[in-house]
Amino acid sequence: MPSDTQVKRLSTGRLVLHENVAAYLFLLPFLIFFVGFVLYPMFLCVYTSLFDATMGREDIYIGLQNYQELFSDPVFWVALKNTAIIVLVSVPVTCAFSLWVASAISKMPVAATSAFRCIFYLPVVTGSVAVTMVWKWMFNNYYGIFNYLGQNTGLIDKPINWLGDPKYALGCIILILLTTSVGQPIVLYVSALDNVDRTLVEAAAVDGATPFQAFWKVKWPQMMPTTLYILVITTINSFQCFALIQLLTSGGPKNSTMTIMYYIYYNAFKLYRYGYGNAMGVILAIIIAILSAVQLRLGKEK
Amino acid sequence: MKKLLAMLLALCMVLALTACGGQTATNPTPQPEDDQPADDGTVTISLWTYPIGDWTDETTVKSFIADFNAVHPEIKVNVEYLDYTNGDDKVNTAIEGGNAPDIIMEGPERLIANWGAKGLMLDLADMVPEGTYDGVLGSCTNANGAVYELPVCMTAHCMAINLEVFEEADALQYIDLESHTWTTEDFFQAVQAVYDAGYPYVGTVFCGGQGGDQGTRALVTNLYGGTYANPEHTAYTYASEENAQALAALCAQDGITFDPSIVASDEIQNFVNGTFQMAFCWNATQEVNNADALDFDVYPMAFPAEDGVPSLQGGIWGYGVFDNHDEARAEAAKTFIRYLTEDDAVYAKVVEATHFQPVRDVDGVYEGNELMAEYALMNPLMGDYYQITKGWTTARTEWWNMLQRVGASDGSVETILAELQAAQDAANAAAEAE
Amino acid sequence: MKNLTNTKSRVYYILAFVLILLIALSFLFPLYWIITGSFKVKQDILSTTPVWFPTEWVTKNYESLFAKRSAPLFEIGSFVGPTIPGAIRWLINTVFMSAAAMLLTCLTAAMAGYALAKKRFYGRTLIFSLIVAAMALPKQVILIPLLREMSALNLYDTIWAAIIPVVGWPFGVFLIKQFAEGIPTEMVEACRIDGAGEWRAFTDVMFPMIKPGVGACAIFTFINSWNDYFMQLIMLTSTKNLTISLGIATMQGENSTDFGLIMAGSALAAVPILIVFVIFQKYFTKGITMGAVKG
Repeated sequence: MPSDTQVKRLSTGRLVLHENVAAYLFLLPFLIFFVGFVLYPMFLCVYTSLFDATMGREDIYIGLQNYQELFSDPVFWVALKNTAIIVLVSVPVTCAFSLWVASAISKMPVAATSAFRCIFYLPVVTGSVAVTMVWKWMFNNYYGIFNYLGQNTGLIDKPINWLGDPKYALGCIILILLTTSVGQPIVLYVSALDNVDRTLVEAAAVDGATPFQAFWKVKWPQMMPTTLYILVITTINSFQCFALIQLLTSGGPKNSTMTIMYYIYYNAFKLYRYGYGNAMGVILAIIIAILSAVQLRLGKEK
Repeated sequence: MKKLLAMLLALCMVLALTACGGQTATNPTPQPEDDQPADDGTVTISLWTYPIGDWTDETTVKSFIADFNAVHPEIKVNVEYLDYTNGDDKVNTAIEGGNAPDIIMEGPERLIANWGAKGLMLDLADMVPEGTYDGVLGSCTNANGAVYELPVCMTAHCMAINLEVFEEADALQYIDLESHTWTTEDFFQAVQAVYDAGYPYVGTVFCGGQGGDQGTRALVTNLYGGTYANPEHTAYTYASEENAQALAALCAQDGITFDPSIVASDEIQNFVNGTFQMAFCWNATQEVNNADALDFDVYPMAFPAEDGVPSLQGGIWGYGVFDNHDEARAEAAKTFIRYLTEDDAVYAKVVEATHFQPVRDVDGVYEGNELMAEYALMNPLMGDYYQITKGWTTARTEWWNMLQRVGASDGSVETILAELQAAQDAANAAAEAE
Repeated sequence: MKNLTNTKSRVYYILAFVLILLIALSFLFPLYWIITGSFKVKQDILSTTPVWFPTEWVTKNYESLFAKRSAPLFEIGSFVGPTIPGAIRWLINTVFMSAAAMLLTCLTAAMAGYALAKKRFYGRTLIFSLIVAAMALPKQVILIPLLREMSALNLYDTIWAAIIPVVGWPFGVFLIKQFAEGIPTEMVEACRIDGAGEWRAFTDVMFPMIKPGVGACAIFTFINSWNDYFMQLIMLTSTKNLTISLGIATMQGENSTDFGLIMAGSALAAVPILIVFVIFQKYFTKGITMGAVKG
């Protein structure tokens, strides 16, 4: 005859089993997609990165040669640098700009707030390709609006080939990226500012804090979760910018807009170097995993 | 709430069902098991064509297919249209996705030097019509004698000028109007004259990608008599003093700009709309295709050379058949291209739709067509078809990247020569690896 | 002293308003340029001095957009629908793709998010870590294996090849999990003690409470899928299977400087979703903020 504790352990055991089965059943539909179309390809990516894989012949095992070549490939380093620049510029600028806009428009009448919020969100919904196309036209060397405005206002004395000049091309890409990425953070900040505890702000004002102090000491800490969330989504967004590069510059001129994302595509479909492209993907995935881990750790500390 | 969820589920199921329906339907090249000649014996094949004259125009292509189906109702042909900017990527993804087309219409640099060399194409040697010019056939044949391209048409790529603007700038004096040629010296003087007449963009060395790079290659190699590849088609030779000198002269010339933000198709359109005064990527078909948009006289010109006799870059286009490991489809594909090329009358129409020259003597082609007669002047100047040199894909990529670097450099011969050397080394390394 | 701060803040307020107004106008401008550009004649488009307002409104660009390519309206088995302009078919494909991705994601993510938030099971930490790690993963990283996989599954060049990777993207699960964690566990427990099964506990108690989170997830997925140019570019090739973004990009490759035509395509791609956005603006903003503030 089983003892009391044994019965208890048995029923807890059954409960645990039940809970596990139920949990996995709930997870199952998602896991099919996630494992099948994210994790499995990721595994294949690591595996193929060890091969010299190209079109029309069997893959040849070459060990870590792809990685060795990668680290001595100057274009890879340029691409890494450009990707870093895009992320490092666009993430803080997006956050700061949207915080400023949000704090300014949240004090306005409701109609104005929602109108502005809507306008800043428009480029997000317009769609990346449509946005890219119109910017391509505006940046055009020969009949684009930027050269006209620049020359007319005296800012530039001769037409600049915005997308064809290594000095400006990356800047132009970042500018377009910014217009498509501030929409969501502004919406988020406006609502975060609305949710700030009024009594605390008022108390601070009574204590003689300037609005500026009140903002940094009282509102800002309360909005920290929102800021973190914005950091995460903007980082993801910046890493993923591909349409802009592919449709505007194809990585040129002189690789000045070459990003890792585009270089992978370029290696795969222009040079047919699948293994090499995969090796690059693995490195990028590692970098991003580290970044995410850091951001998550930061989030936990706050 | 349950209702909502149930509805969601139901919707998903409906979606999935339509998906299955859609899937079989949307697969343009069904998998082998599906298309063993079905009960009714029909075979579906796909034809992908690059923009070659009117072979980019739906109405024209569909009428050829309709005529073909009158004879062969059992073969259904699906058409996809490619462009030179994304076309290669599209074909390559399709190959990787196991969805390669059956027939592809392009030139030897892709069909023989690229996909053919990778063993993806079928040998069409037994289908070449009699009387096909030897030179053309030679370019469509690989080292082992396999013909991966059934040639259809050819042209000598030339350049073009805006005759009215040149006249206005008094630059016609530098041109041999009869033979459509000019010397290197005259060329630069003409560009200067047009520039001085108030046209800032006379000619543009486009280098945003590989599209239409035959124009920049021909321009650079002809100016001071350089070469691109050796006559044996085994190695690249473009890192020469002559080519460096040519590029340096182009860098220094007023009115010539290097533009890494455009490719040939942009150049052509900018020429047609009057922004540029000359186009380096030109041929008869461009003039025909843009006839509606052109509101000035286009004057086709040979590329400038020191002695005025350039070696023009040839273009050859034709059909290739991908080896999709399916007898029925391969046969159907061959039947279709045989139909298009074998009979003289059909072939003449096919050629006329390309606006290029035929590759064998055919009666009645372009009869009384003055435009084609004008462009035919270029044919004797046609040079070596070196686009089938090994490592071609890499060589092309290196070329436009090199132009980008040269355009942004100090323009000195030494710098340019170093850039040329770097590009050539990479191309030759790729040629050796192949 | 107080007056001084007041004047100062008023000046700042007005300055900020003017500045933001100017920036907002510059955000509106590309849209204005797309729409007017699509009705302009060629001379207006190529003019070096910008033509701010079309000198003559023409529909020629739309006509050539519709005449350029054609595709059947639908195909079910061997039954082929009537031929329509390719651009219309692309629009239909895009709507279908985004809607399907949205529905599938919401369903799978709601279930998985619930399980991750409220259930204790072996491998929970592992799965959640994988989700977080994969969330930031750009899809370009796995493009080659994914392409090979889709082709092996016979899905290459079908709209599903563009849908499935979006559904597998774990952001939705993360969002709903964060949201569901804010729901008191007792409510679910109470329902279960009443003898309700797992599924009923989810549909009757949990789902209504995480509905706002699911709404946010729906909006994200829809926009994300609509704009997921990269997946579409890799997976779709046939004219009849293109999405509108891909269709315009293709046209751009063929007629790179025919901006009138390209703007017509862009307008066609942008206007429907813009209308949806303006109508449901309230829900959009609500959904977006729900996802983040609670998370």
